[in-house]
Amino acid sequence: MNPAPMSPATAPTAPAPPNAPSIPVRARDLLGCEWTKFRSVRSTYWTLAVAVVTPIGFSILVASAFAAAPPGGARPDPLLPGLLSLEYAVIAVAVLGVLSFSSEFGTGLIRTTFAAAPRRRAVLAAKAAVTGTVTLIVGEVVAFSSFFADQAVLSGHHLGVSLSRPGVPGAVLATGVLLCVCALIGVAIGAIVRHTAGGIAAAIGVIVLPAIAALLRPPWSDRIGRFTLLDAARQVTALHPQPDLFTPAGSLLVLLAWPAAALAAAALLITRRDV
Amino acid sequence: MIELDRLSKRFGSVTALDDLSFTVRPGHVTGFLGPNGAGKTTTMKIILGLDAPTAGTALVNGRRYDRLVRPLYQVGSLLDATALHGGRTARLHLASLAQSNGIGRRRVAEVLALTGMEAVADRRVNGYSLGMKQRLGLAVAMLGDPPVLMLDEPVNGLDTEGIGWIRQFFKALAAEGRTVLVSSHLMSEMALSADHLIVIGRGKLLADMPTAQLIAANARHDVLLRSPRTAELTGLLTARGATVTPQPDGALVVTGLDAAAIGDLAAGHGIALHALVPRQASLEDAYLDLTGESVDYHGTPVAAPGPVTEGTPNPMSTAR
Repeated sequence: MNPAPMSPATAPTAPAPPNAPSIPVRARDLLGCEWTKFRSVRSTYWTLAVAVVTPIGFSILVASAFAAAPPGGARPDPLLPGLLSLEYAVIAVAVLGVLSFSSEFGTGLIRTTFAAAPRRRAVLAAKAAVTGTVTLIVGEVVAFSSFFADQAVLSGHHLGVSLSRPGVPGAVLATGVLLCVCALIGVAIGAIVRHTAGGIAAAIGVIVLPAIAALLRPPWSDRIGRFTLLDAARQVTALHPQPDLFTPAGSLLVLLAWPAAALAAAALLITRRDV
Repeated sequence: MIELDRLSKRFGSVTALDDLSFTVRPGHVTGFLGPNGAGKTTTMKIILGLDAPTAGTALVNGRRYDRLVRPLYQVGSLLDATALHGGRTARLHLASLAQSNGIGRRRVAEVLALTGMEAVADRRVNGYSLGMKQRLGLAVAMLGDPPVLMLDEPVNGLDTEGIGWIRQFFKALAAEGRTVLVSSHLMSEMALSADHLIVIGRGKLLADMPTAQLIAANARHDVLLRSPRTAELTGLLTARGATVTPQPDGALVVTGLDAAAIGDLAAGHGIALHALVPRQASLEDAYLDLTGESVDYHGTPVAAPGPVTEGTPNPMSTAR
């Protein structure tokens, strides 16, 4: 009956001036917001429990296996159990990272989040900072706990090393960094993939799958493999780095380049898509 | 104040919004109406900067949403009350959002009290009813005590008491001079809560006017009467310019004269009237007329609805 819209009949008075403070949202505000979210859900504690409990127990088993190896063979790297034992912890923290975004996309909560904080890259940075800081602390606790437990086992067989030996503190610190790296990859992939199941699969794929480079024919296994996350991690956490791969410093760059690239991709996409 | 200027949004080949312009003014509860799929939620998402428009602009308090400083102080919004992390408590949900805009803890307690959520604030939202989630969503919208509120189907899931409460709530907010935009696909609900209506269908603006004016412009008025001397009365009414439609049961339906004039006319000629009923089309009918062409999904009617409803008992009839 009224194909043409009619104009409003009345023009009421101007609104009361907004009571908004003129200070923009500060980094502290968004960090506080994300920290409250992080600590207020149970999945945080479950994934962190897995990340703490499994490696310490697992690394003692690996160290015991090393210690039980028949003498006369190649001496295993005494820091290797600490790295190998992170296999499950790496997945747990990647899940934690993915969930920081995918749980919000899955429920639609992300719309509330972005309505409260329209600068989406700042939200990404805040989530990465909170998840990254916690997993770095947890990673170092795990790395040093595993180290002392492993060396207690290995020293009984004269295979252990002391923390005071040059190169050891750096290698143990780098072991702890691996958890933070994988958690940050998880955060980035959560923001890109948006679905929990797909995000976890993608994160595990990014972290683990490049390791198939090891199956390539030498020298390609090393030429390609040195760019993979796990070979880079092995190199920076080893007491005796392998000569065929990048130097520990170069491998550290590779290790940090993975989350940096993933977060850069997330930052690029996060402002471009409707939510 | 919310201003939309020639807003368009296309998803692939589907046009969700088509050159949509309107202004939502302060001091009123503005109802945002349209059938399912008309583009109400898309419009609100664009206003909140969540979706990018294909063309056009949406401004809140004169600015694009993503340029707002601490947006929760400027716009309170509720798009989907169920968009919550089930494992988090209401208090921590509110606390996290308050922190994001530098809003203090005391305000969290205030909005919990405002929405009647204090008793359940420390329970995980998993166990909440839809009505409780709506209240929590409203609490979030009120965190920054904003001058603009925008809510998508906020009545959904509320019981009768809750609906009454939320209506009063919106009216009080509008009376304070705030801009209140509330979407619904139910005309009957909006007739009771909104004093201004914006109606869209298939992404196009269909109407933008005060509720009473929309009803007057779209509703049909007539008078049903019964008399032992219908033939005589028909002649008199027609002579006065009224249109008379005889009904199969012997009643007459008259348009063009109101009940008082008809009664006076009959009395002046000594004609007895056995019934004299002013009738008004329901607002729902007006709405169907307006949006009939623009509904995406038509059901098969079970029975043809009568064009007008007799008498006043129908709550959908308007008395505004």
